[in-house]
This record gives sequence, structure tokens and C-alpha cells, in this order.
Amino acid sequence: MISSSSSSSSPSSSSSGSRKKKMKPGLTAQAETKWQTAAQEQVYGRRLLEALRPTGGAPAGPRAVKEAADSALALTARGQSRWSRAILLGRCRPRRKLLLKAGGRIRRGRRQPRSSAPVPLQQVSAELRGKKVRDRLRLLGRLVPGCRKLSASGLLEETADYVAALEMQVKTMRALTEALSAASLSAGATGEPGS
Amino acid sequence: MEKEGFWGQQWQATGAKLPPELNSGSAASDQLPQCFLNLNWKQPMAHDADFESALSSLVSSPCSNPPASADGSSIGELIGRLGGICNSNDISASSPYPSADASCYSTPLNSPPKLNLSVMDHRQQGRGGPPMPVNRVPGPQLGPFSAEPGFEDGAARLSCFAGRSSGSFAGQFGFLDPGNLSEASRSQCPKAGFGSCVGVGQSRSERPAHLEMKMRPKIDGSSTAEESEVGNGPEESSLSDRMTAEASSLRGITDNNSGKWKTATKRKGRRAPLSSSATNPPANMTEEESSDAKRCKTADRKGGAKNEVAKPKTEKNGHPGHREGKDNDHQPPEPPKDYIHVRARRGQATDAHSLAERVRREKISKRMKFLQDLVPGCNKVTGKAVMLDEIINYVQSLQRQIEFLSMKLATLNPQTDVSMENLLRKDIYQSRGPMPQPVFPAEIGTVLSYAHQPQTIALQSIVTSGLEAQFSLNSLQSSLRQSQSLQHATTDAYTDASSQLGGLWEDDLQNVAQTGFGQNHGQTHTGHLKIEL
Repeated sequence: MISSSSSSSSPSSSSSGSRKKKMKPGLTAQAETKWQTAAQEQVYGRRLLEALRPTGGAPAGPRAVKEAADSALALTARGQSRWSRAILLGRCRPRRKLLLKAGGRIRRGRRQPRSSAPVPLQQVSAELRGKKVRDRLRLLGRLVPGCRKLSASGLLEETADYVAALEMQVKTMRALTEALSAASLSAGATGEPGS
Repeated sequence: MEKEGFWGQQWQATGAKLPPELNSGSAASDQLPQCFLNLNWKQPMAHDADFESALSSLVSSPCSNPPASADGSSIGELIGRLGGICNSNDISASSPYPSADASCYSTPLNSPPKLNLSVMDHRQQGRGGPPMPVNRVPGPQLGPFSAEPGFEDGAARLSCFAGRSSGSFAGQFGFLDPGNLSEASRSQCPKAGFGSCVGVGQSRSERPAHLEMKMRPKIDGSSTAEESEVGNGPEESSLSDRMTAEASSLRGITDNNSGKWKTATKRKGRRAPLSSSATNPPANMTEEESSDAKRCKTADRKGGAKNEVAKPKTEKNGHPGHREGKDNDHQPPEPPKDYIHVRARRGQATDAHSLAERVRREKISKRMKFLQDLVPGCNKVTGKAVMLDEIINYVQSLQRQIEFLSMKLATLNPQTDVSMENLLRKDIYQSRGPMPQPVFPAEIGTVLSYAHQPQTIALQSIVTSGLEAQFSLNSLQSSLRQSQSLQHATTDAYTDASSQLGGLWEDDLQNVAQTGFGQNHGQTHTGHLKIEL
């Protein structure tokens, strides 16, 4: 039973990974497809595991786990997206200055970035000038790390990439927890301690 | 030299019509004129009798210096100018004219010196007099050209001038900016209002249209499409066709250049369809547009200034098929542009700001559509605000799921690690004996290797107490995972599951704490759980 559950978990995760492969044309097509490949899932999964493993000594609170997971996700993004850079920079403080010098355009989410946002939200269009839309765009900017002051188009692109990445992260972590719990279950079941 | 070889080859290709006329001049002279003319008008020369006659007149002017037509003289001046351009470096002629020309033109062309010299000599012989001021105007403009494109451009301009013999040269010269004509040649020249020259050349006379049409093919497809265009040449025999074709080509060219024209607004009502077409310059040639010289000019002015976004929605109006044939030829070789072209739609503003804004708006709407596909349940929603709402909700839910899962992982992982120290003493010795480790699939092989050592030992103690809880947890997870719609179902299920699991975890954690798990850790877990749920 346990093996069946575990075996079911693994193929399901891999199948779900392959199931979602869609080719979308457009600028951000690669954002979606790159996160939906099974290969990416495994890459991320491995990274996540490696990140989680060394936390054996110290109690890894859920926050630490989440941060490790996010860092692994950002690593998997290879720094191509703004949010991934923001996450990585947020994690490693001492390296931030180096990265800032090297990258130039990298900036933390919470800091006041340079006024390099191409177009302030107000000037974009009549509809985008609408208050509601503008507020929501601002909200979205706060949600996505590192995209506080970003133009609408850039923000939307980052959001697309971020959403795809988050979906992959959720999928992988779920599979991981299932596997772990299945393992624990199996271990527990097989080795029923007496008391 | 290379140039000569090139010219010579074209010379042969074009045929023998011109050479005899050219040869009428001095032996030295015939080289340059023929090469010069061949280079620029090879196709048309081959095919068009009228053109050749014009050419011959052109050629003959320097040679014979016909005093009759002012056109001829001006054309001769132009030829001299061109020669001057070519020669800027090389000519050390003593005559004032060449020297003046050399002074005018700064950049040297790579054309062989002797050819230029011959031209210059011709000029000298032909003219005899000081150059007219009007002729000087194009000089500086023609000056800064790189060798071949400049040469061609100059030649193009020259042809334009020749064509417009009826028109005022001064005016024409004014329009002939180097950038303008060079723009026409897709491959090399920067964007410019070639259309302006052409627009100016939108003359009533047959010859200009004729010449310009011929010129256009040459300019546009200098290397490859020339032959096809040449073939097109003879098609346009009638003047009316030429005029319309010229107009359309003008339009196309100007559209290429400026990119921002609205075919609609200033149209004389000819072309109904308006396009929101993305035009690539050669493709635009077939653009329907009617010729508006004024439009050319205005567009020209605007064109240079901005970046435009190219959308490949070219709409070919029912222009004569030959134009489209030309387009097809040109379509594949997209010239490398540093600007992106945008075509304004009918009834929309054409000023720079609105166009740029429209481009941005379209980019944004494109990205919104992409997000719509990504986020489930956004298909029915219309309107940016509501869609953004959905997107925000989705992102928040995803982030919540991740936190939830990370918490779960945290309970699974460090729990075992920490408890390992604590529990090893108590339970390991008990359960160490029988510990078969089932082999899980490779995908979670690493997990297993990790899980085996610390977790199995530690979890056993937990499992005994929370086995049922975990089983229910697993079943919940599997059911959740198998649900098709990840987002909604999972969010709903998670909210339910989290409440259930929270209780379960609390039980587990309490049990763990009892077994010595790490009370701080357990409490923080419960604390977190409470906060989350």
C-alpha cells in the first residue's frame, strides 16, 4: 500500500509536469514553458532538497524552509527575472553590493530604486490611468518581489513569470512532502514500534 | 578594380544600348559615365527605351554640353557633383569646379579615381562655367556618403533630378537630403525620408515617375530583387499606371520611412482599407497609399524622429499585382532596423505621443492576455481591473500554498533532524532493529536517502502517535493532487485541509513534544499554524 502510494505520487508528479507543457507564442511564452517542463521541476526539486538537507542541525522553522524554497526557485530562474534577482539579493546581504555593482539594474524590492522605471503608471493609457487599475497594479507590484516600482508592462511580464514559477514550486513541494510523508509512513508502518 | 569589374559586368548585362552613346565621349570619359550609369540604372536601362533616351540625354549632356536645356545642364552639374563626391579624395584637378566639389565633399568614396577623373574632366569640358549655386546645394548633401550606398544614392538623386527636369531643381535639391534618399535603399541606408524626394518627384511628368520607379527597384533591392523588379519595369508602361505606381511606391517608401502614417486620415479617399499594417519598407511599397507629397514631407519629418513598433500586419490593398510581386521578393529579407515600425490606424491620432502610447498599450494588453491564459478562471472576466483582481488573488493563493507546504516540509524535515537527537536516545534503540527501507522510485530517491536515516528513526515515534493523522493527511494530499484544477480546488481543499490538518498537526506536535521533540519548535509550529489558519 505504501509503495503503491509512493509510486503513485511519483508518476503523478512527473505526469503532471509533462501534462502542462503548453507552447504559447509571444514575448512571455518562454516564461510559461520554461517553468512547466518536468526537467525544471526536477532541477528545482533537487535544489530544494539540497537546500533543506543541511538544516538538519538547526531547527528549520517553516519560514526558513519557505525561504530556502524561494531561494531555490530563484536560483532555478537563473536570475533572468527581476523577482528572482530580488529574492536572491534579499537572501544574501553581503553580496548585494557586489551584485549591484555588477548587475547595475538589480535592486531590492523594498529599497527605493532608481527612477529607471520606464513609464510611470500614470502616463500609460486612459484605462491604465484608472484609479482601480492603478491601485491593483501597485498591489501586484508589492506581491511580486522586486517589482515595486515597475511599469505596467514590465510588471505584467514579471508577474507571468512569477506565477509560472510559483505553480512549479507548489507542485514540486507538494510532491516532496508527499514523498517524505509517504516515506515516513512507510517507515512507520513497517517498523511499528512496540509502544 | 572591383568597381570597374562590377560596372563592367553590369555593363554587359544591360546591353549595348548605352555604351555606344556613352562612347561618343572621350575614351576616358566613357568609362565613368557608363559605369556610373550602369551601376545605378542597370535594370531600367536594359528595359526601358524611354529611360535610355533620358539617360542618353543625361549622358550626352556632359559629353556634348548641350546648351539647349537647362535640365541637361543641371543634370550635368549633378553628374559632376556625383563625380565630385566619388572623387573627393582623388581629384587634384586644377579646375575650380572639381576643386570646389572636392572641398564640398568630405568623405571619400571608394570609386576608382580614374573614372571620377574622367567625369570631372567631362564636367569641366561640358560646363566651362562656374557651377550654379543651385547645383551646389545638393553637394554638401551628397558629400557625406560612403562609397557604394552614397554612390547609389547620389545616382538615385540624380535620376530623380533628371526626372524632374521640369521641376525646379532648387526645390528638389532642398528635399534631397542624404538621409532621405539613402533611406530608400533598404540594405544600407538609414531611415530617411526618401519619400520626400519621391514625393517631390511626384511630378506630373512622365519621366520622373518613370525614372523614380525604376530607381526604386534599384534602391530597394539592390542586390537580389533587382531582376524581379526589372521585370516589373516594363509592365508599367502607361503613364497613369506609372503615376499611381509611383504614388503607391512613394507612399510605400514614405511609409517605410516614417512608419507613422495613417493611411486613412489624409487619404484622398482612394484606399479604403486602412491598415494597421506593419510595414516593412519594401513590403510597404505595395501599400496602397495614394501619394501625397505633403504627407510625404510631414511623414518624413516625423519619421526620422521616433521609434516605432513593427507589427507584421501588412495589408496589401488591391494595388496592381506587380507591386505585390515586388513585395514578396522583399518580404523575406527583412532589413535590420533599429526602429520598429508602427502603422497608425484609421481615425487615430498620428502624433508621436499617441503612437508611442498606443504601442505601449498594445504591449500591455498582450501581456494581460498572456496572464489571462496563465491564471485559471480569467477567461470569463473582462476588464483590466477585474482581471488584475483575479491575478492578485491567484498570486496570493499560490504564495499561501507555498507557505503551507513549506510548513509541512519543515515539520517533516527538521522534525526528524531535531528529534533525532532527542529521540534517538529513546526510540532508536527500540525500533532500530526492524527497519526495512522500501525502495522508492528514483525521482524521490534523494528524498529517501535523506529520509531513511534521520526520518525513519525519528518518525517512528511520531508515527505511532500520529499515524492515523498522517494517513488522513496523505489521503487528503493525494486527493488534492489528483484534482484537475490545481488552483481553485486546491485552495478550497487547502482551506478545509488546513483546518483539519492543523488539528492533526497540533496533536502530532503535542505528541512529539511529549516525546521530547523540542518544545520550542512545536510551539512555534502550532503558533504558525494558528496564524496561517
